[in-house]
Amino acid sequence: MIFSKEKIIIAYTIEKCSKCDIQNKREFIDGDCLFTESSKCSSCDGITVIEKIFGEELDS
Amino acid sequence: MNDDTNPLMMLIWILPIVLFVFYGQRIQLYVTSGEIKKAIKKLDGFKDESRIELIDYVNKNLKLDNDPTKKIDKFLEYFTIMPVDMDPNGIVDKVRHTVRMREDYTLEHIKLLSPQINNLELTKVQTLLEIASSLQMIHKIVNHMFLTAKKQNNYPLILPLQMILPFIMEQAKAMSKSIPAFKIGQPVGDGIGPMVVGKMMLNCDKERIAFQTVLAKTEFDGRKLFLIKAEGPGSTVGRPAEALEKIVSDSNIDAIIMVDAALKMEGEDSASIACGFGAAIGGIGTERFQIEEIATHKNIPVFSIVVKQSVTEAITLMTKPIAEKSDDVTSQIYEMIQENTTSGQSLVIIGVGNTSGVPQ
Repeated sequence: MIFSKEKIIIAYTIEKCSKCDIQNKREFIDGDCLFTESSKCSSCDGITVIEKIFGEELDS
Repeated sequence: MNDDTNPLMMLIWILPIVLFVFYGQRIQLYVTSGEIKKAIKKLDGFKDESRIELIDYVNKNLKLDNDPTKKIDKFLEYFTIMPVDMDPNGIVDKVRHTVRMREDYTLEHIKLLSPQINNLELTKVQTLLEIASSLQMIHKIVNHMFLTAKKQNNYPLILPLQMILPFIMEQAKAMSKSIPAFKIGQPVGDGIGPMVVGKMMLNCDKERIAFQTVLAKTEFDGRKLFLIKAEGPGSTVGRPAEALEKIVSDSNIDAIIMVDAALKMEGEDSASIACGFGAAIGGIGTERFQIEEIATHKNIPVFSIVVKQSVTEAITLMTKPIAEKSDDVTSQIYEMIQENTTSGQSLVIIGVGNTSGVPQ
């Protein structure tokens, strides 16, 4: 256990455009909630919906 | 004179043997005590951190006029006496009554702290309170067992504690690590069931069917689907058994499918999906009992889909592999519906688990 390090977990949000199905991964922001509208799609005029929220270990 | 007949060498050999014969247990007690003391210190830290986090959260989010510390400390000391099980007849109803009484009491008293509190904050405070009081209880019990063994200088008494301590520490560490996710309202690993069913509920009309539990009706391939999950995005598991009972009393149900997170065995892959039979639902057992009773009484087959995960994964922020399995689970549900029912039949699909951060 001497060499075990506490892993740093970063929360991410996956947004998916309901029109063009493009997915975008960004860091989780306070207030993000699954299945809610998030932002304007960067590649079309659609609105993105939060598809997934998860934690990933920080790459060292 | 060689080493075998040297009296000094003989003494060097014999002394430790004599020492270990008479004081072996005491020496072991001292060695083990050191390890257990370290664990108790950690548990004490978890307990204090969770209490501070809870008080901070209440102060920041509930905007109270008075300092809630005293009231919170009183809550943390509450205990639950489980019913006598010498005569097991009717024990489930008694356990359910006791547990619900505690739940209702906690909710009412959080509301008294802040009458304007909304349901989302209410469930968050309730969960944080449960975590803090569980960590307090774990610390108390481990400390008691350790001090009793030390007081009596009784090594065998410390052995069961030493054996079970790694498991207790894993649970306590997981609980302590789960606090940020519940505070922010992020989905946890246990929320995979509600996440899958919640997604199926999108664009459907929803109604509250039981306490903190929602129902949506939809259709798939000629089958009528009754979708049940805890009411999100608050941190609650709802009352799926009560919801099922209401549905079954009004409609003819041909199958029940339950989607839940399950503890993986050592060596099993995290986020692996498994299908099976029987009611997949954890907790104290009262919900499972009620679901099994209904299914048996009405002769309804119960199928389950579980996503395997560790204790820590189940109550901390959902990991990427688990989140990525949600679409696979949905496909398996549809596959299961087609394989086990025919057009025109009705099914209940229950998303079991904590719905923190998962609306519908």
